[in-house]
Amino acid sequence: MKAGARGALPFAVLIAVWWLVTRLGFVQPIFLPPPGDVIRVATELASDGSLWIDIAASLGRVFLGIVAGVPLAVGLGVLVALNRRLAPVVEPIVGFFNALSGIAWLPLAITWFGLGWTSVTFIMFNTIFFLVFFNTLVGVRAVPRIFEQAVLTMGGSRRDVIWEVLIPGALPSVVTGIRMSIGFGWRALIAAEMIATSTGLGFLIYNGANFLQSDTILVGIIVIGVLWLLTDRLLLRPLERRTIERWGLVSIT
Amino acid sequence: MLRREAVMTWLVVLAGFFGAWSLMAATLPVPAYFLPPPTAVVSAFGELVRKGILPTYVAESLRRILTAAVLGLVVGVPAGLLLGMSRRVADFFYPLLNFFQSVSGIAWLPLFLVWFGFSERTILVAVNYTLLFPVIFNAMLGVRSVPPLYVNALRTLGASRWRIVRDVVLPGALPSIATGLRLGLAYGWRALIAAEMLVGANGLGFMIFSAQSFHLTARIMLGMSLIGGLWLVLDYFLLRPLEEATIARWGLIQR
Repeated sequence: MKAGARGALPFAVLIAVWWLVTRLGFVQPIFLPPPGDVIRVATELASDGSLWIDIAASLGRVFLGIVAGVPLAVGLGVLVALNRRLAPVVEPIVGFFNALSGIAWLPLAITWFGLGWTSVTFIMFNTIFFLVFFNTLVGVRAVPRIFEQAVLTMGGSRRDVIWEVLIPGALPSVVTGIRMSIGFGWRALIAAEMIATSTGLGFLIYNGANFLQSDTILVGIIVIGVLWLLTDRLLLRPLERRTIERWGLVSIT
Repeated sequence: MLRREAVMTWLVVLAGFFGAWSLMAATLPVPAYFLPPPTAVVSAFGELVRKGILPTYVAESLRRILTAAVLGLVVGVPAGLLLGMSRRVADFFYPLLNFFQSVSGIAWLPLFLVWFGFSERTILVAVNYTLLFPVIFNAMLGVRSVPPLYVNALRTLGASRWRIVRDVVLPGALPSIATGLRLGLAYGWRALIAAEMLVGANGLGFMIFSAQSFHLTARIMLGMSLIGGLWLVLDYFLLRPLEEATIARWGLIQR
């Protein structure tokens, strides 16, 4: 409770300054509307349902990207990592695509899939896929061979090694990859939605710019920030912490 | 022996990659602009270099990101250090900085468009914003992560406030500062590409975006490889060594 109040105070101060600046007429409302206007627009957008549609569209794309991207990336990552000759070569190539992933694929995605839903979701998928692939590969390769040999010595099969050693050993790296890729993907998605589609939070704010509706833009910005903070705080970070606590390798000294 | 094997594997994988790409480009029943062969990308490179477009665009993009990086170093790091000096101040700014860091510069872009129009300034503000917040945030966290024990030890020995900053706070915060710079540049580079697409009149982001309208897919692929390649060069030769060096040299060992 106290921590919550302390977290809210800075925002209260920020909003007060914002209100004062607009109230005293330092800036024109077209550039920075007062907080009251933003709240009014937010309730308008929420009550006619369009805000919820945009939120659902954006989150739906994130969800699809995760559902399609993560299993594929983890599977491929483990398969490649198992081959000790292939893995060191594939790693920098995936690293390259990882560096490239995100918004830079948008022109190609539009060429392939046209403007619309598919292109935008592809950007999200792409970002998640390459980062998780990369982190799985690195994670599996970082598992000390001694664990693998221990299982083999005790009569375990290759299957045991994969399921009992390599995948659990790689999990912290995989989960960190998932968390980071959703962060990068979320940003790329917002940018892609501005360009290539007519639903979603990215479209909401870009369309707001076309009509010089700073209040709508600010509603979108705040929703984007809050959604990310909530996802990260309530979902991704606890997941990451728990995986590392449960499966993180304790260094042997 | 092992080296030769590794080189062989490299050659096979690369040949496989480009071979599969060429084969798909030649055989897939799609219009030619869907997937131009690697040779088309190479000739697009030659053409754009001869016309002088490519060097200009690359230079413009690099200029923007490096300007933002310098600003991050000169303004972001000291600002973060200052905020981190006092626990109260840091506690106050933590949620704010965290929030502004989570809203990427690209989400602010529409507002910047209203403020500055379709101009160079809009791109620069968006990129600087994206880069600055992780830098400030991590510099602040870095200072806060220095165990008070060290500060107290120096103070007991009669060190001045300046000595404490120079010998304890700054070195202690360096690994976190390096991480912040790397993260900020990673986000900033992507924001730059997106901003150039939406606003730009030049730069690599503009190049791949405008090529799309004319179905110049080879040009898109060329731009993509440069965007990825430039980032890798920056990351491998500058950021990662910096991060590793600071952590190896100044990283605080727990306990």
